[in-house]
Amino acid sequence: MSETLDTLLSGQLLVSMLVLGSVYGLVALGLNLIYGSMRLLNIAHGEIMMLGAYVGFWAFTLAAIPPYLAMVVSMVLAAGLGALLYVSMLGRVISRTTSLARLEANSLLIFFGLSVILQNLASLAFTSDDRSYPWFDQILQLGPVSISADRLMVMGVALGATLAVIAFFRFTLAGLAIRALIQQRDAAQLVGINVRRLNMMVTALGFALAALAGTLIGMVEQVSPFSGFPYTIAAFVVIILGGLGHLYGGLIGALALAAIETYGVAFTSASLRSLLVYGVFIAILLIRPQGLFGARRVA
Amino acid sequence: MSRHHAPARYILAVGLLAVAGGLGALWPLVVSDYWIGIGIELLKWIALTQSWVLISGLTGYISLGHVAFYGLGGYVTVLLWPILGVWGALPVAALAAAAAALPIGWQCLRVKGPYFVILTFGVAEFLKFAVIAIEDAIGSFGRLLMGGPSLAHLFHILLGLALVSCALTWLIGRSRFGAGLVAVREDETAAETIGVPTSRLKLIAYVLSALIPAMVGGVMALRTPFFDVSQAFNPVVSFTIVTIAIIGGAGGVWGPILGSLFLVTLHTALWSTLEQLYMMILGALLIGFVMFLPGGLTGIPLRAPRRTASTTAAEAP
Repeated sequence: MSETLDTLLSGQLLVSMLVLGSVYGLVALGLNLIYGSMRLLNIAHGEIMMLGAYVGFWAFTLAAIPPYLAMVVSMVLAAGLGALLYVSMLGRVISRTTSLARLEANSLLIFFGLSVILQNLASLAFTSDDRSYPWFDQILQLGPVSISADRLMVMGVALGATLAVIAFFRFTLAGLAIRALIQQRDAAQLVGINVRRLNMMVTALGFALAALAGTLIGMVEQVSPFSGFPYTIAAFVVIILGGLGHLYGGLIGALALAAIETYGVAFTSASLRSLLVYGVFIAILLIRPQGLFGARRVA
Repeated sequence: MSRHHAPARYILAVGLLAVAGGLGALWPLVVSDYWIGIGIELLKWIALTQSWVLISGLTGYISLGHVAFYGLGGYVTVLLWPILGVWGALPVAALAAAAAALPIGWQCLRVKGPYFVILTFGVAEFLKFAVIAIEDAIGSFGRLLMGGPSLAHLFHILLGLALVSCALTWLIGRSRFGAGLVAVREDETAAETIGVPTSRLKLIAYVLSALIPAMVGGVMALRTPFFDVSQAFNPVVSFTIVTIAIIGGAGGVWGPILGSLFLVTLHTALWSTLEQLYMMILGALLIGFVMFLPGGLTGIPLRAPRRTASTTAAEAP
């Protein structure tokens, strides 16, 4: 009994939950933006993260560029990739598909194809070895909790980026326009919002956030061509928990999943982590099937 | 042109099946093991995709988790084969998959559109990790299978499964049941309103679509001497099924055959040397077909003339 209580109250677990939650929040934010404004289900989100992690790894290994600079590089690259994808494919798909259900299903298949391409491209280019690099990993002692400095930095940057995005949506015209787009797409168009340009911007921003999250994860976890996919699943759990298209709901969802995962694993065993995440994933989709979002969705 | 209840069509279909079965049965007797292996791949994908069409092609509920039944069938077969033999284990595998499909379908088919797609994927992954956890708990790390059936024998079983799956899709496609499933795809609410028992039809189709993949999984598990759970439940299988159906077309019986032929040719040419390139081409094909040819290969030549024929007929005074 007291052992259970110790686990629950452990500062160590609380901190690892917060680190995980802050990264999930960032990942989910990017996914939610793209879904919310365009109804595209970007199942390749984790692969963009994986590429971001590789940028961090190679920048450090080949040129000794520290991750805080590599982050900027990977964000710029990912934003470029997103804009390119929008111009070459996504924009066309959006303008040609009339029914939303069809657009969602097609986008899922298109991004699935993209994720297979990126995974295998990475595996061809970088081999399928697990890669990691040591940087800034001394252990800090904060009261009863010890945490490695790089993890603390991951949490700090992820929280900072999330706050910056929130500020962007609250205080800038473009941010407000994107929120208008998410809430009332047709009405937004009527009041003179340039939907195409904003869509491209959102795709670029969503991809950049994924790449940033990836570079951050690459600082503390191993990266391989297939390491991104679990994050796609986690991000889907998070945004479904918080409500698809609901930017702030996703942040609460991120904390919830991180808590379930961290404490669930602590009470059972690490080998059950995937089972747990998929269990939550299935349960949410079944208990709150599309009807839940139907009420909020303004098509 | 009367396409329904034409006995000539049934005779033609039976004849085609007999010829394909007869010629196919001779295949392992005249070619080397390498080509039997390629034949096995082709028959496997035809049987899997044809079964997938029953639920996803006809109703539009795209399953991205059919590997669940393939893997489950493989697992059950591997457990039972030493006791029951091939002919005992495979039917039990099919029944086990149907027993799993019933509650899964009952719950998942309530969920629509892209949510159904990601849900089926999640269920398959969940099953994979569940089986891995079970194997871990009983201290088993992969299972060895010694003295499995010969390659030619497995080929013949798969040939039978592929032919049955083609016949099943063809028959259901032109039955009242099939018409009900297509009604679900076109407009589920409208179908329900006019009295089509959509929930029941979808569930029956889903359970039917699990039977053959389970037996195919069983055969493929017996093909290699080592059974690895993550390999048996590999999501690439589900992905490949969807890609084949989208390349070939998911509207009828020829799509999966054409798609499988295309895929196996590509696979044979590239897999052994350039595995990653093969997967990348597969991904690109999926994107290309979804964007530019949503009806698949069979969507181009067959549909256009038929439509013209019916419109001219309708326009004629």
